[in-house]
Amino acid sequence: MAAASGALLAGVNAGRAAEGEVIPIGAGVPLTGWAAADGIEFKRAAEMARDEINAMGGILGRPIEVFFEDTKNQGADNIIPAMQRLIDRHNVHAIINGYNTGAVCAEYDTIADAGIIYIHHNTDIVHHQVVGGDPERYFGIFMGDPAEYWYGEGLLTFLNNLKASGDWAPDNNKIAIITGSQNYSVVIADAIREKAAEYGWDISLYETVVVPISEWGPTLAKLRADPPAVIAVTHWVPQDLAQFMLQFTPNPTNSLVYMQYGPSLSAFREIAGENANGVLYSTVIASLRDEKGEAFNTAYRDRFGADSSPLTGAQVYDSLHYYALMAAIAGGTGGPGEFEQNQKIADRLRSMIYRGVMGTTRFFIPEQAGIPYPDATNDPSMGMPHQFLQHQDYTKEAELIAPDPYVSAPFKMPPWMAS
Amino acid sequence: MDTFIQIVISGLVLGSMYSVSAIGLTLLWGALNVLNMAHGAFLVAGGYAAYYFGGYLGLPAYVAIPGALATGVVLGLLVYAGVARPLRKNANFETTVIIATVGVALVIENLVQKGFGAYPLKQPLSLQGGFNIAQTFVPWNSVLVCVVSIVLLVLLDFVVRKTRYGRMIRAVAQNYEAARLMGIRTGAVYRFVFAISGLMAAISGIMLSTATTLSPTMGYDPMLKAFIVCVIAGLGEVRGALIAAFALGVLEATVQFQLGVRFALPLLLLLVVVTLIFRPQGLLRKNEASRL
Repeated sequence: MAAASGALLAGVNAGRAAEGEVIPIGAGVPLTGWAAADGIEFKRAAEMARDEINAMGGILGRPIEVFFEDTKNQGADNIIPAMQRLIDRHNVHAIINGYNTGAVCAEYDTIADAGIIYIHHNTDIVHHQVVGGDPERYFGIFMGDPAEYWYGEGLLTFLNNLKASGDWAPDNNKIAIITGSQNYSVVIADAIREKAAEYGWDISLYETVVVPISEWGPTLAKLRADPPAVIAVTHWVPQDLAQFMLQFTPNPTNSLVYMQYGPSLSAFREIAGENANGVLYSTVIASLRDEKGEAFNTAYRDRFGADSSPLTGAQVYDSLHYYALMAAIAGGTGGPGEFEQNQKIADRLRSMIYRGVMGTTRFFIPEQAGIPYPDATNDPSMGMPHQFLQHQDYTKEAELIAPDPYVSAPFKMPPWMAS
Repeated sequence: MDTFIQIVISGLVLGSMYSVSAIGLTLLWGALNVLNMAHGAFLVAGGYAAYYFGGYLGLPAYVAIPGALATGVVLGLLVYAGVARPLRKNANFETTVIIATVGVALVIENLVQKGFGAYPLKQPLSLQGGFNIAQTFVPWNSVLVCVVSIVLLVLLDFVVRKTRYGRMIRAVAQNYEAARLMGIRTGAVYRFVFAISGLMAAISGIMLSTATTLSPTMGYDPMLKAFIVCVIAGLGEVRGALIAAFALGVLEATVQFQLGVRFALPLLLLLVVVTLIFRPQGLLRKNEASRL
């Protein structure tokens, strides 16, 4: 396929073949542990981007090689040593990751001490505080996607837009929030709760569940006792969410059901079956269904098989491409300790507007985190789309129902709701 | 009224899942003083074996389920032969076997993850559909789990109390050396109990995975809940485990509704602490010496 950065990178490389000294790039990804399925996609995407970059002449004629370290079940105890090994053992010039959870930016000092570029997709609002609080020390650290906080406010924007479109007329203005106990879920739930009144909504229930949960009866009893217009489940484990739908649909309330992350995984549809139809979810980081996104999705599946997940791999694919492009424009990469060269690359990244397979990557300054569209900018060419999706046929992938101009199908009233 | 019915049904569903999880754990402790930390992993192995035979190979349920049960028995025998038997003569057997079975759990979990991946899977052998009591939907699968858990515990209690093998197990449980001197083949008793424990765990794993989902880590939560049930009932107390499991299930569902879901587990753990302080042999065991 034609890579997103193809023409530009090839142009900067000026026809040079990738024949020089190899540039080591690191990736600390969960190759084992609970997130291994996603970690494998991150590895695949890095290998795909590597091959495409090298076919275009690498970075100013130097091929790149990607070295992987396993972050296992994640958390600081696994992530920090993995990053340290990439720097000490492989002398990497940059670390390009998918997501790792649980470290809450604890690995940043390891990176800052080495002075290399680090792009990750941890979707963590703490990144804003850490990098925004000391942009000089953490100059090379970028979060390639918007923080999880935006899921909360973005949902409220989406609901109001849906109401205004006339496609949905809620019975009331109540939102019931069901959150897990992990930081990710709580930040999103709190963002919905804090901003709800501003958007004209009341919170009728704020329930924290303990992970894992398979018996939803008591929670459903509360929902049925006071039916809300929207049920927002920010707990994200797919099998737990599937169980919720299996127990909700036999005796539903007239509520939209929004769920976090889990419905994007095929396991949700497989377990919930037709009960998945109608469920809404969103992502601030996935490949699009447009021309560029579909070309990537097709090439990815052709290479790694029909069961592979390009939507997950896209984050590493895009970020490795734009790192290579910005490094080439900056005059080359810099290894550990080469602060000056890496500062030049960081300068290029900060001013970058990059259109990849996930839409536009552009960073908040000084936080160096992805800007979401339409949550923080109303210009689709200036932010990464906060994609809202709906399962309309559980045997197929979900349809992208917002925001414009990326929509693949219109919103459909869930089968359990009155039309 | 609907709310009350929902809470009772949720409590029974939770209770049946806890009791089905507790069976193998309480048997091994009651009979052999073995606190099997690999019990959760045994459940995982049973669930995945059923998935492998029924889902991956596409065999009918009447072949897949016996295949999974046989896997549980083999696993129980392997752990006996590879872990419990070599450690049996160790002076600190009861402690070392805990550590050893933690290792067994890690091996099983990682093998399952290597073989089947980390993605959660649907157990293909589950029952579909259900019926309504007032406005509350009751899945047939939950009814099956409930019935199976009760039947298994009653059956186990019968075997232990009324059969010749059960008497041998109780003799070994009460005094290992004395049982040997009386001519009981203690090795055979150990093998039998481990095999039965593996069998029970396989059944539990199948039941739990039909009610929830298959994943390499699906054993952790049932293991914790089984431990809570066993401590409150009294470790090794088979009848008590059944009563405690359902009582705790209903209590948990009530707390989840009245106070909030997040308060249920802390309350159960508080009950464990209180039980261990004031009645360490468990609420339903007569004294510390008696087991099974």
